Amino acid sequence: MDNKRIYPIWFLAPAMVIFTVFFLIPIAMSLIFSMMNWTFTGMSWAGFNNYITFFNDYSMTIGIKNTIIYAFATMAAKCVLGFLLAVFLTSNIKSKHFLRSIAFFPNIVSTIAVGITFTALMHPSKGLINKALAVFGITGPDWLGNINIALGSVIATDVWKGVGVATVIYIAGITSIDKSYYEAASIDGATSFQQLIKITVPLCRPSVNSVIILALTSGMRCFDLIWSMTGGGPGFATDVMASVVYKKYAAGYYGLSTAGNVIMFILIAVIAFPLQKFLQSREAE
Amino acid sequence: MRNKKKMLVFPLVAAMSLSMVGCGSTEGTEATTGGDSETVVASSDGNWNYEEGTTITMLIDTDITDTGILAVCDLAEEKLGINVEIEYRPGGTDGDNIVKTRLASGEMADICGYNSGALLSALNPSEYFVDLSQDSNIMDRLDETYASSVTVGNATYGIPVCASQAGAVMYSKPLYEKYNLEVPQTWDEFMSNCQVLQDAGETAVIGSFADSWTTQVVFLGDNANVMNKDPEFATNLAAGTTTYSDSEYALRSFEKCTDLTKFYNSDYLSTSYDDACDMIYNGEGGHWICLTQALSNIYELYGDNSDIGVFAVPADTAEDTRLTTWMPTSFYANKNSENYDAVMAFMEFYISDEALDCYTNVILPDGPYCVKGYELPDNAYPAVADDMQKYFEDGKTGLAMEFITDIKGANCAQICQEAGSGQTTAAEAAEKYDADCLLQAQQLGYDWAQ
Repeated sequence: MDNKRIYPIWFLAPAMVIFTVFFLIPIAMSLIFSMMNWTFTGMSWAGFNNYITFFNDYSMTIGIKNTIIYAFATMAAKCVLGFLLAVFLTSNIKSKHFLRSIAFFPNIVSTIAVGITFTALMHPSKGLINKALAVFGITGPDWLGNINIALGSVIATDVWKGVGVATVIYIAGITSIDKSYYEAASIDGATSFQQLIKITVPLCRPSVNSVIILALTSGMRCFDLIWSMTGGGPGFATDVMASVVYKKYAAGYYGLSTAGNVIMFILIAVIAFPLQKFLQSREAE
Repeated sequence: MRNKKKMLVFPLVAAMSLSMVGCGSTEGTEATTGGDSETVVASSDGNWNYEEGTTITMLIDTDITDTGILAVCDLAEEKLGINVEIEYRPGGTDGDNIVKTRLASGEMADICGYNSGALLSALNPSEYFVDLSQDSNIMDRLDETYASSVTVGNATYGIPVCASQAGAVMYSKPLYEKYNLEVPQTWDEFMSNCQVLQDAGETAVIGSFADSWTTQVVFLGDNANVMNKDPEFATNLAAGTTTYSDSEYALRSFEKCTDLTKFYNSDYLSTSYDDACDMIYNGEGGHWICLTQALSNIYELYGDNSDIGVFAVPADTAEDTRLTTWMPTSFYANKNSENYDAVMAFMEFYISDEALDCYTNVILPDGPYCVKGYELPDNAYPAVADDMQKYFEDGKTGLAMEFITDIKGANCAQICQEAGSGQTTAAEAAEKYDADCLLQAQQLGYDWAQ
């Protein structure tokens, strides 16, 4: 090979070394470990048994279902609420910068602290939410104990915490839209609503795509909020994949939990990569 | 709940005890190393050599009452010249995870506080903990039943952190008096007592489902009843020849979980262990099924628990009712500790009469001691001295399953929580738990024909 071709490879080398050591090798190792019967006492070859066990596990079905509900629900809510907030915060209002900080604030609080706080707020008899509802004569439900709404309560908390990021991305997108479009539109007599639908929405599509991908992948691997609020309970009602994997890991079934991680990795990849491709292709049009 | 300020006392006491040299025994010998002035103390049998003021670390979980442990550590500082630095970890699943991770990564504290029985054998103790079976100072003191629960293979690893306890029904005596209730002898009587309380508008049974481990006590605390009716059950279970679904008596344990659902307080799914201690003490609920370690917790919080009585999880007939007992949490000595001698001296000291007296002075036992010849003190809690002692005198006790076999499904708490909150039937719960046990057996490498 001539020198001109080898030469640029050297620029690639440092990044490749880091990528290999910290990503490729661990991925290969986790594939191997996931096929081992690996516990605290020893290790033996198990082939695909761990995967078979995982798919037959009753908590796995609940885990996959809840993970998908969780990821898509948080994504949808963050997309819509984030956009509305961003439109509001880029309009001509006073103390706009202060309000922007407030919208972002929940995101810098530790997730565990948020989880513990909301668990207290959502307590059925002593929590602030139900006490406030009681003032209006409404008997609030057991937000985290009722299996039909427990997941919804965690999703709502996640949205409260995470919507700030979506808002910031949207604000960046909206402020970068050329003002002359709006001027032209208003000269032609377009209302603010028409400007929003015809100019703002289509022109901040790149931001929408970023928000979708970010919210979806973080929703798919959500663990900390679920664990601090419900621990996957009551029973297994709010288990997501990450909490199922964690429980297997804590029980000392290391091979099995690695297999669960590989399944989770594949599931996220299968959903996220095609989605990103699809979104980018629409963006290019 | 914890008195962490006591931790601050350590450096102070360390400074004070520098001048004191002793080892709590008249036979103790003292030696000074030639040249430097550091004092080396040898224990009573002259086995252990360590420097005065050696600091050892200890890892314990936040669910056990630590007042007694702290008192003994203070005493050890004074008598042995060993500083004990306590690290806290959560209980339950998160705690298991911390212990296993620290063991595997070689970061374990010098002394590890962890469950006895099935959970210990899952830690591969021969790799990490000191075998005490050759140490007659310790072995001669340990009660046989206890010793067998910390023995894996031929090696014995643990010393009891506290007294044994029971998984039983705690009840509010004032409420029993108010409604003229008798202590139930059978499950049906228990149910009708609950019905009376519920009809009167009281909370019949306190559920503390926010701490999922407490939900399994109904099921686990029924084991003595199961074993009484089917003495071969544990052996067959470990051999894989029977399951909870197959055994009519074992299935009954899950039925008891589901029977209670209608009697729980309205916010039971969000009620924690600490809330429940509060409620049973204040008579805000008739019954609470939990480990009797709660008695100490209540005593520590309120200075009194004489309004609380205890009875065994009832069987179907009065004659068959047995109290299910729990072996205490144990201390295990880290095999790879740099302070091996100091650790061993502390372990021997911890189960000496002197240390036990010191422990009992600050916190009373939740059941009989596991140290030979050490009796319940005269001022023991009424629930222990009267209610529980009766079962021991009549020989009507039995161990929880995890101290008889190594089989304990990892999701036991969640399965009981699910059944207890009415999401599954007893049969479904038993089936799930059987699958959970099978998974554990496969992981442990048991040869179960499927």
